[in-house]
Amino acid sequence: MTANDVVERLKKNLGIPWNGQTFRDTFKAGNPETEVKGIATTLMATLDLLQRANAAGMNMVITHEPTFWSDADTTKELEADPIYQFKAGFCAKHNMVVWRYHDHIHARRPDLIWVGLVRALGWTEFVSPTGQRRFTLPPTTLGALAADVKKHMNSRVLRVVGDPNAKVSTAAVGMGYGMPRISPDVDVVIGGEISEAGNPLDATEYCLDAAYIGKNKSQIILGHEISEEPGMEDCAIWLRTFITEVPIQFIRAGEPFWSPKAGW
Amino acid sequence: MEISRRRFAELTGAGILANRPLVSQSKTVTAQQVVERIRKSIGGVWAEDSLDTFKAGDPATLLTGIATTAMATADVLARAAREKANLVITLEPTFFGRLDGIPSPAAGAGRGQGGVSLDDPVFLAKKEFIQKNGLVILRFTDHWRTRKPDPFATGMEQTMAWSKYRVKDAPFRYELPNATLGSLADDLAKRLKARAGIRVVGDPLTRVRSLTFLPGVSNLAATMKALPESDVVLAGEAREWESVEYAHDTVASGQKKGLIMLGRILSQDPGMSVCAEWLKSIVPEVPVRWLSAGDPYWRPA
Repeated sequence: MTANDVVERLKKNLGIPWNGQTFRDTFKAGNPETEVKGIATTLMATLDLLQRANAAGMNMVITHEPTFWSDADTTKELEADPIYQFKAGFCAKHNMVVWRYHDHIHARRPDLIWVGLVRALGWTEFVSPTGQRRFTLPPTTLGALAADVKKHMNSRVLRVVGDPNAKVSTAAVGMGYGMPRISPDVDVVIGGEISEAGNPLDATEYCLDAAYIGKNKSQIILGHEISEEPGMEDCAIWLRTFITEVPIQFIRAGEPFWSPKAGW
Repeated sequence: MEISRRRFAELTGAGILANRPLVSQSKTVTAQQVVERIRKSIGGVWAEDSLDTFKAGDPATLLTGIATTAMATADVLARAAREKANLVITLEPTFFGRLDGIPSPAAGAGRGQGGVSLDDPVFLAKKEFIQKNGLVILRFTDHWRTRKPDPFATGMEQTMAWSKYRVKDAPFRYELPNATLGSLADDLAKRLKARAGIRVVGDPLTRVRSLTFLPGVSNLAATMKALPESDVVLAGEAREWESVEYAHDTVASGQKKGLIMLGRILSQDPGMSVCAEWLKSIVPEVPVRWLSAGDPYWRPA
């Protein structure tokens, strides 16, 4: 079975038409006609991930996010860069193929990235009947909620804005880049990655100020990888339902950061 | 809502500053006059369509003091009012968005609603606090960022005591004598009074000598230029699928390097201290002080 065969079979099982215009869901490295020995699904095809996938005998990597450091994964301008050469060279040397699966995993129903996030949070039973991507949680405090989220999501460096003692029970959750819009009926917004200022509505400054005046709006920033990574495990499980010829394994790219001890 | 707003106002003695008597006729200056002096002294042509405009308050207000800050949060405004600084000069927005509360004409386009709702309780409480305390808010970003030498580098140097490590003729570059990635991150956290905002890529034990500072928001191209030239890039805010992955891959390729992300506000905070010093030289009539916006983030244990 070739990497191309894997992609063609995925397309057949997708349940929605393939958008041929996508620049994301394409091969990023390697020859699509390569014979596949094993498939690793992951959030991001970092060099470290490629090294671990190779060591585990997986020569096809299905990644949700870019390989070569930009959304379009364009490489022409990178050719002189030694890290590009190293990473592309590693793929070539070990006969690895990288294919990105982004737009269509979000577009199909259910969106497996979303399914994975809700599962990892442990909030499946709290999905709000009133709106999409809203949750009604058993009442708690922001401090307790953030600690729970940190533990469930396996994060070291998630960041929180708001009063730890604030009572919270309604949450709006987003994935990857972006933050759900603050609204009157939501206590806490949770997202992956967002600009600190200059958005249409800056949740960071808003939640700082809301907490300051006792309005208790809160924000939890999970990190891009942390927020979307669990869904690539669901992706591996899904792939196994129609690809049985080769082993398929989710390999965690992991949180890229650590954090120093607080300065005060 | 009423209680919150009252509490917010009471914290700083609402209304006192607005009615404050003039100190002396010869030593008065208005917010508008300060802007005119800034325009004259900053150098270069003033861009009329820039973001550097009054965001709240009356420009004709007679000033009792000036506070500069990286972000005019409610906390910063309360401290400004307490210290009788009725002109607040802020690098980042006051009203939670690029356009400071003016609904964006470009709203929609799949990006959702524009700025903050004009009947939003936090927006209204902040406006009311500003009004009750007679504060004037001026945004100063586009032009301050063009200042040479770069004020954010100067501010970071002062905070970190790095002036002696500056690399000649290479702005933003430093040669540190005795640091590891871990000790550098600790030192930054300590001196910048960070809470949870600092995030690091790389091995804490990696020895780092050369450092390039990329304050504020930086893109992949900036990181791809800076990281090969130095052991560590000190960034404000960078995208996780761009610069962060590049730095992570650099480390995985065996190079002893690192990336430290401070967060946008923390990386720019000391640069507004430099702004206060500069303003002192052109506005001698009233006290000018820097109010640190601080690290916005915490995290549970």
